[in-house]
Amino acid sequence: MAGMKTATGDYIDASWELRVFVGEEDPEAEAVTLRVTGESHIGGVILKIVEQINRKQDWSDHAIWWEQKKQWLLQTHWTLDKYGILADARLLFGRQHRPVLLRLPNRRALRLRASFSQPLFQAVAAICRLLSIRHPEELSLLRAPEKKEKKKKEKEPEEEVYDLTKVVLAGGMAPALFRGMPAHFSDSAQTEACYHMLSRPQPPPDPLLLQRLPRPGSLLDKTQLHSRWLDSSRSLMQQGIRAGDTLWLRFKYYSFFDLDPKTDPVRLTQLYEQARWDLLLEEIDCTEEEMMVFAALQYHINKLSQSGEVSEPAAADPGLDDLDAALSSLEVKLEGSAPANVLDSLTAIPELKDHLRILRPRKLTLKGYRQHWVVFKETTLSYYKSQDEAPGDPIQQLNLKGCEVVPDVNVSGQKFCIKLLVPSPEGMSELYLRCQDEQQYARWMAGCRLASKGRTMADSSYASEVQAILAFLSLQRTGTGAPGSQPQGLDASAEGLNPYGLVAPRFQRKFKAKQLTPRILEAHQNVAQLSLTEAQLRFIQAWQSLPDFGISYVIVKFKGSRKDEILGIANNRLIRIDLAVGDVVKTWRFSNMRQWNVNWDIKQVAIEFDEHINVAFSCVSASCRIVHEYIGGYIFLSTRERARGEELDEDLFLQLTGGHEAF
Amino acid sequence: MDESNDDIDQMFSNLLGEMDLLTQSLGVDILPPPDPKPPRAEFNYTVGFKDLNESLNALEDQDLDALMADLVADISEAEQRTIQAQKESSQSPYHPAPLEVSPFSGSATPGYDANVVATSISQYEDDLPPPPADPMLDLPLPPPPPEPLSQEEQEAQAKADKIKLALEKLKEAKVKKLVVKVHMNDNSTKSLMVDERQLARDVLDNLFEKTHCDCSVDWCLYEIYPELQIERFFEDHENVVEVLSDWTRDTENKVVFLKKEEKYAVFKNPQNFYLDNKGKKESKETNEKMNAKNKECLLEESFCGTSVIVPELEGALYLKEDGKKSWKRRYFLLRASGIYYVPKGKTKTSRDLACFIQFENVNIYYGIQCKMKYKAPTDYCFVLKHPQIQKESQYIKYLCCDDERTLNQWVTGIRIAKYGKTLYDNYQRAVAKAGLASRWTNLGTVNAPAPTPPSTGLTAGTAQANGQIPQAVHSASAVLEEAQRHVDTTKDKKPALRPQDPGTPRAQHRPKSGLPPPPPVRRSSEASGSPAIPAKAKAAGFPAPPDDLPPPPPPPPPPPDSNDAPPDFVPPPPPPFVGDAGPLPPPPPPPPALAPEPQRPPPTATKRPPVPPKRQENPGPPGGEQDFMSDLMKALQKKRGNLP
Repeated sequence: MAGMKTATGDYIDASWELRVFVGEEDPEAEAVTLRVTGESHIGGVILKIVEQINRKQDWSDHAIWWEQKKQWLLQTHWTLDKYGILADARLLFGRQHRPVLLRLPNRRALRLRASFSQPLFQAVAAICRLLSIRHPEELSLLRAPEKKEKKKKEKEPEEEVYDLTKVVLAGGMAPALFRGMPAHFSDSAQTEACYHMLSRPQPPPDPLLLQRLPRPGSLLDKTQLHSRWLDSSRSLMQQGIRAGDTLWLRFKYYSFFDLDPKTDPVRLTQLYEQARWDLLLEEIDCTEEEMMVFAALQYHINKLSQSGEVSEPAAADPGLDDLDAALSSLEVKLEGSAPANVLDSLTAIPELKDHLRILRPRKLTLKGYRQHWVVFKETTLSYYKSQDEAPGDPIQQLNLKGCEVVPDVNVSGQKFCIKLLVPSPEGMSELYLRCQDEQQYARWMAGCRLASKGRTMADSSYASEVQAILAFLSLQRTGTGAPGSQPQGLDASAEGLNPYGLVAPRFQRKFKAKQLTPRILEAHQNVAQLSLTEAQLRFIQAWQSLPDFGISYVIVKFKGSRKDEILGIANNRLIRIDLAVGDVVKTWRFSNMRQWNVNWDIKQVAIEFDEHINVAFSCVSASCRIVHEYIGGYIFLSTRERARGEELDEDLFLQLTGGHEAF
Repeated sequence: MDESNDDIDQMFSNLLGEMDLLTQSLGVDILPPPDPKPPRAEFNYTVGFKDLNESLNALEDQDLDALMADLVADISEAEQRTIQAQKESSQSPYHPAPLEVSPFSGSATPGYDANVVATSISQYEDDLPPPPADPMLDLPLPPPPPEPLSQEEQEAQAKADKIKLALEKLKEAKVKKLVVKVHMNDNSTKSLMVDERQLARDVLDNLFEKTHCDCSVDWCLYEIYPELQIERFFEDHENVVEVLSDWTRDTENKVVFLKKEEKYAVFKNPQNFYLDNKGKKESKETNEKMNAKNKECLLEESFCGTSVIVPELEGALYLKEDGKKSWKRRYFLLRASGIYYVPKGKTKTSRDLACFIQFENVNIYYGIQCKMKYKAPTDYCFVLKHPQIQKESQYIKYLCCDDERTLNQWVTGIRIAKYGKTLYDNYQRAVAKAGLASRWTNLGTVNAPAPTPPSTGLTAGTAQANGQIPQAVHSASAVLEEAQRHVDTTKDKKPALRPQDPGTPRAQHRPKSGLPPPPPVRRSSEASGSPAIPAKAKAAGFPAPPDDLPPPPPPPPPPPDSNDAPPDFVPPPPPPFVGDAGPLPPPPPPPPALAPEPQRPPPTATKRPPVPPKRQENPGPPGGEQDFMSDLMKALQKKRGNLP
């Protein structure tokens, strides 16, 4: 219709020429010119463009982007007039889904296609569906930090980039499981590898790298991160993201709903990774003791994931295992022999008897280890001057139930000691047992550990405990057996345990590796029985238990105050923090909040709490949009209910976090 | 058989001798586990002990009564198991074995009066076969005979069941028991048998039944160390025997049964612990006003997340220096991982903190009169020590707070850090128990007109509650005639649900219907909500159990046996009189001892063998049993001077 001409070639209708650039990488490369009128529908325009390009291709994902207005023309039935497009409009015809490089919580890079036209909230939801992470409302994207001093180190090691750009997900429904992973991952070896990267914990980072990575030195530094969050209600394109850009995917809201190890392998792992990096990079502070527990858990998780014990759904219930084991052993016994023997073997409790050297540290004595005849029966340890006196009264008898067992081992030095801290009515008694070799040590150590938990050596776990200790010792030996292969600073300790990759750098500076190793191993004792997912969960729980957990910091200026202060936003409260000292000045809880308003013109957030408490502040480090979205987001998350399952009330989210489009 | 009877006599005298020892010196003692004899030797007990007379004289009447009631209950239970095992082993191997898993919980041993005991004895005399396996003795039971197992066609399932049963019995046989003397708050004492599987909760339930108290959540078992001047309450999930076995033989320690508000204060007023802005007065004001809904939310947030939130707590406390009587003031912080302090010249950022103590191996106690004993700055002390330490030691840590509020915050905070969500679970169980108890009491009162008058505590409440019923019915019927009808028809069965206290018809105070209704007994005082709106007055007539749905329009009268419907009650209601829908008076309150044994509802037993015909199969000579019991009776009567 448009484009009617007179015989001389002049246009006689109200049509005009519209130039549309095609492609996304380099828009100038290809352009088409159409004749349109104000009445033309967007759909018709697209049809004409495609006709003019005249290329066989799937155009279904393409749409028109209006560059000046930063707007997608997605309503195909709207006319150009309705959009207000004139001839000077700069229009780009390109895909709505474009590749981006995602930096996952585990710091690995993943290329995939993200929607550049939908609001970010939906785009993230689609990404999470692809990665099979439930509850995408908890995650969001950040801009990657700008790279500084890039020139100094050009030779960044080539890193592996996983690619999921070719994977297409059938819309809407949750992907079905196939071969233990969501079906869309099982297409090829690459995608399978990608799924393993997503669902399995990564090995500890190189300690040297860890020291090089930027760490926040102060509360001020911690606010930097939060200025980079993208806006949930606008599309990536609108926020100036270009195809191929790097974005960070992170858990943004620290309120993890319905975390279920069975259905959430990827979510759990990524959460663990985010927690781990938070701790390693000192984004969140913890005490020395807590760090040792975190390190022990990492060590344990790493060990399990490397040994391939990843698929372990059956082993989840140790209680059941015990029963099964007991049943089968009883069954064998019942069928095997006469009942009398059964009872004998059931009631007979194994004991350990041997010559060991014992040290009882006392003040002001220089006595060293002395040889004794030691008998270990049930949970009780008795020692005698010699074997001949054994039927008589022991020198000392200790019930190890509830005691503390600490290994004191140096394989290269052939030192195999067990330190026991045994409680008694009078207090604690300290005792060192020195074993001759690994075998002996493993047997006694396993017995002590079981006894400290009130179990005897008759317990079914005794044999496996002995094996575990032996395996651990041999690990230490191989570690020392490879001379020169260890980088500096990682002396005699185990190859399987490089403590510096497990703790935050400030502990690297504070302790030597050989000081750290025993402490981590000591903490490891308490977690050694956990399965992979249990250990990850424990890690996350311990992380959540830190006082500073889940607080996002922004610099603000409170109304009526001149100086900058820190506003901490947590899932249930806002915290006013003194910037210089770091002390909490005041806490307001969301449960007492009546309403909050944002004045977009003066960039001020005003909040009203119960009992007419009013708070207003302007945001300095991040835009007030980010603060607004944090508050609204947490309010939204608190409305989630188990009954609703994974269904998302997107409108409510956008309503709570948006509202500044007019601005 | 005669021989074994003698043995049982002797065993009992041993027991009494032991109790004698207890009453003389200790609150608690361990029954010596007799050496297990080879299985064929049946029931021989060869532990030498003091003579019967002396021990009987040393015991007080009520102690003996109570203890005997327990014994009877225990024995009958054990007998049942034995019977079942026997029946089963004599049956065809195709038959699935009964799985007897009923844990010996407090609900299984109600406090009988002596006459009840007598009744039950006669009952057992009729029914029971010989071997009275006394569970308190360490007896490995003979394993099931091997022949049936050899049959090839036996199903694996049946075998597994059998093995489970055998395992169960093996465990059973090894159960350690203590006789615990519990001091009541009126200075009397009660002795009760506690086996090693029982948690503090079970013991409390047991005590509730014995004392007929109000079952409030504040009741607790309280551990007192007179020598160290420390005390603490047992957490409900703690294993009592385990704790008590740490006591030394000559200890002066006591277990007391009393009410302590501090036990669950955090769940009644969480804001005092979670929202306390370090002693600022303004916040204190606002805290008092927190409404029930916000409390719910706060608890939900703190205890139901992926990890429990430990209250933020920090401040200067006095620390007693090891082995000295001097106290040093330090700035302490509570974290989930332990108590930390700020070293000299450092700030209180996480990285500078030094660990003072972690909670895995210590319990928390209140220190009593530390001002006097250790020259503490105040009397608000708390103490951390390893449960096994019983004497003064440098390993016991004493800390002293400025005031009581701070003390309670620290003690509670430490408990939360140490026990986590378990604490909340305990509380909910206690609330459920308390709610249930009030219902039970009412059930008892309604039964009062029935021919068998219930025992003491129940009758006391009768008049009150009876007077209450018409009122409640009236208010309910104001709404719907239908409701009236419903109440009428269910009067006999349902009024158990009516709150016990006539002053507060709590059901009407239930908050908005969208919320889970708070269990009835808890925080009755603060149920200051608006009076029920008409639509809900209807609901008031049928107060729902705590886990119930919002009330639908009055349903047709439920079938008569629906009064034991709520599935999650801990002690099962009395067995319904099956098939009898008439106006027959409901069963008397706690009748399990009278119920013929096949009908006993085992709380958790999942599989039960078909019962009825077997009684005839096993009319066993009641020899040992009878003698044992009559000996018990004799002992009692002798004690009372009836017999020379």
